[in-house]
Amino acid sequence: MTTKTIKVDYLARVEGEGALDLHIEGGIVKTANLRIFEPPRFYEAFLQGRSHIELPDIVARICGICPVAYQMSSVQAVENAFGVKVEGQLRALRRLLYCGEWIESHALHVVMLHAPDFLGYPDAIRMAEKHGDVVRKGLALKKTGNAILRLLGGREIHPVNVRPGGFYKVPTRAELAPLAEELKQAFDLAVDLVRWVATFDFPDLERDYEFVAMRHPDEYAITEGRLVSNRDIDIDIADYETEFEERHVAHSTALHALVKRRGAYLVGPMARYALNYDRLPVSIRGLAKEAGLGPVCSNPFRSIVVRALETAYACEEALRLIADYEQPESAAVPLEPRAGTGFGCSEAPRGICWHRYDFEEDGTIRTARIVPPTSQNQPSIEEDLAAVAAPIASEPDDVIRHLCEQSIRNYDPCISCSAHFLKLSVHRA
Amino acid sequence: MRPLLVLCLGNPDRGDDGFGPAVAEVLDGTLPPDVTLMARSGDMLTMLEDWAGFDALICVDAAGGGDRPGRIHRIDLAEEDLPRDMAFLSSHAFGLGEAIALARTLDLAPADIVVYAVEGQRFDGGSEMTPPVAAAIGPVAERITAEVARLQEAANHA
Repeated sequence: MTTKTIKVDYLARVEGEGALDLHIEGGIVKTANLRIFEPPRFYEAFLQGRSHIELPDIVARICGICPVAYQMSSVQAVENAFGVKVEGQLRALRRLLYCGEWIESHALHVVMLHAPDFLGYPDAIRMAEKHGDVVRKGLALKKTGNAILRLLGGREIHPVNVRPGGFYKVPTRAELAPLAEELKQAFDLAVDLVRWVATFDFPDLERDYEFVAMRHPDEYAITEGRLVSNRDIDIDIADYETEFEERHVAHSTALHALVKRRGAYLVGPMARYALNYDRLPVSIRGLAKEAGLGPVCSNPFRSIVVRALETAYACEEALRLIADYEQPESAAVPLEPRAGTGFGCSEAPRGICWHRYDFEEDGTIRTARIVPPTSQNQPSIEEDLAAVAAPIASEPDDVIRHLCEQSIRNYDPCISCSAHFLKLSVHRA
Repeated sequence: MRPLLVLCLGNPDRGDDGFGPAVAEVLDGTLPPDVTLMARSGDMLTMLEDWAGFDALICVDAAGGGDRPGRIHRIDLAEEDLPRDMAFLSSHAFGLGEAIALARTLDLAPADIVVYAVEGQRFDGGSEMTPPVAAAIGPVAERITAEVARLQEAANHA
């Protein structure tokens, strides 16, 4: 029996430090492990004893690409615990800030990190030699997303303007006006991007995912909603722990999240799209159809199209929010700390980002639990790897390696922040 | 005067990676008023936005891969490429080398780029800057002041 081990010791073009181990015996994939060896960062431990006021600024440091997700879920949990609801224009501004994050994160991934896979380039720099226009458009889109973060968040990386109850400072209508001009152009760029990625060749793979995303009665859920799946889950975010669990696995410093009754599930753009297609505006649904997408997309390689589509949606939604904006009288609603538990959940670019905190009477954090999207997707990534590698198990190693790496990048995994080089070692029995 | 940017890169909370920001602190308020000084950490792709509209760029960064911590390298990209064995560190997907390569491919790079790199030794989160790297802060700041004058002078005679 031929035994083959394919190892990718350092995954490139992902955010973070991870590796891939694939064990093939007699042409059958025995195990497919996404190894995450980035050291644990102990956020949940060192949040204990800190004030709820500090919370959004501390958790923003978890990620330089999606800090808004952590801020939004955390302030929502504080407000939930203290019995306050942030509504009206403050809620709209939070959604606008989140649109900025979706735009910058999605544009970065689609153009700079993922597209080279489909066109056969080792990286975006080589790709830019032939596809300079697309790379320029991707950078311009990212810049627009960053501009929203800078205006509403105070700066584009690790924003500092979000607080429990609202913001420290809110913009005037006049301050938002230049953003609208930029966003109109960004929307056109995003539409071009959808059309461009739709022309790629996609490997055939249909997976039977359990999609999990938030769902809201009136909008494409980003900052608020119930947790639903395409099986039978429809729960309040406070009940996350009754349906889902996290497990330690030996090969990863990140926990694996599972549906208790079933196993792996998928969060992120494909899940959001499948569960909230009817909440997208007609314009975006039309664009989806033009790009060859039905109401559900189950081919993980086509996630790049869904991600581009969400970029266009975020531009359109940001424009709508700016058009409807009236400066609120106060930048934040007052909060009265009290002892209790609060839950928060929002749709990070990569999927649901779930938080739970227990607070002391004065608002000091007693315990914290944070479930990021990538840990939820890990079991699903590994199932994808097995499914992708099985039919090509007898192909040369570099063919297997390339497709497996591409499969991992389908998820835009945010292992945390890094990725520089890649080593492959093959062991044959 | 030609638009000139001095860009100091690094994360002050990662040991020797704090070299760039430390040089920026020394230079703050000392450069001619038409020269822009920026300190940046994080995603290097945002640098492409930072240097848009500038005709000349001086970059300061710490680099791994060397064997003499504190050794200063001056690399004029008009004359040579960034050494391949010099690792400009970034905790993100794109570092200085990639950002410059991409900018040049897309014709977004300033005409003149001079990189001052100091060889670093320790880049762990929360660690202190090592003494040989800290000792290079003053000399590099002085050399950048002279470099700014040289680039402006060259522009005046162009």
